[in-house]
Amino acid sequence: MLRPGKTKSRSFRRVFTRVISKTKLFYQKGKPQQAKCSECGAKLKGVPRLNATSARKAPKTTKRPERPYGGELCSKCMRIRIKENIK
Amino acid sequence: MLEIGRLCVKIAGRDAGQKCIIVDVLEKNYVLIDGLTRRRKCNIAHLEPLNELIKIKKNASHEEVTKILKPLGLEVKTTKPKKSSIRPKKTKVVKKSVKEKAEKEVKKVKKSVKEKELSKTEDKPKEPINDSKISKTSDK
Repeated sequence: MLRPGKTKSRSFRRVFTRVISKTKLFYQKGKPQQAKCSECGAKLKGVPRLNATSARKAPKTTKRPERPYGGELCSKCMRIRIKENIK
Repeated sequence: MLEIGRLCVKIAGRDAGQKCIIVDVLEKNYVLIDGLTRRRKCNIAHLEPLNELIKIKKNASHEEVTKILKPLGLEVKTTKPKKSSIRPKKTKVVKKSVKEKAEKEVKKVKKSVKEKELSKTEDKPKEPINDSKISKTSDK
C-alpha cells in the first residue's frame, strides 16, 4: 500500500490484474528511459531498461556491450574516437 | 597498404584500440592478424593501418610474433585457460536451537505414544465371567 495522497498525481503507473474472483488495482513505478549516445544522441543497443532492483540483481555483462566505451558511445562514435586517439 | 608485416590498430570489436600485425592475406577483404589481439581473421574495414612495416615471415607462429614485437615496446600476454573446478555443494546450516526443538518434539511424541499404549491396557481389564447370573436367566 502506498501512502495516502501519493497516487493522485499520475506519476505511478496503474495496472489492473485479474485475481480469482475480481480485478485488483496495483501501482507501479516507471522504468527509466532508453540510454542514448553521449555524442550523437542515438539510442544505444545492448542496454536494457531496468529499474534499480532488477539492475542490482542482473550480472554486469548483460547491462552493456563488451567493447570499449560500451554503454556510453554508439559503435560509430566509438570508431571515430579510437582513430583520433591513435594520433 | 595492407601487406604482410604492416602494423595496424583494430577499430571494432571487444579488442578495439589494440595493436596487431598482419600475418597473412586471405581472400576477399579478409586478413589474418596476431599480436596483442587474438590470432584470427579480420575484415579490412575494421583495421586502421599505421606507418610501420616490419619484416616477418608469412604465417609466422604466435611465439615468433611475440619476439618481434618486444623491442618495439609491445608485450604480448599469453593466458592459459582456467581449469574448471567443481562448485562446492551448499550444505544447509541448521541452527542449534532449531535442532534442539526438533529433537524435543520427537521425544514428546514418543513419550505420548508409550503412555497411550500403557493406558489402553489398563482401561480394559478382563472381567471375570459370573456363571451364576447366566444360569439364572437360562432357567426362565
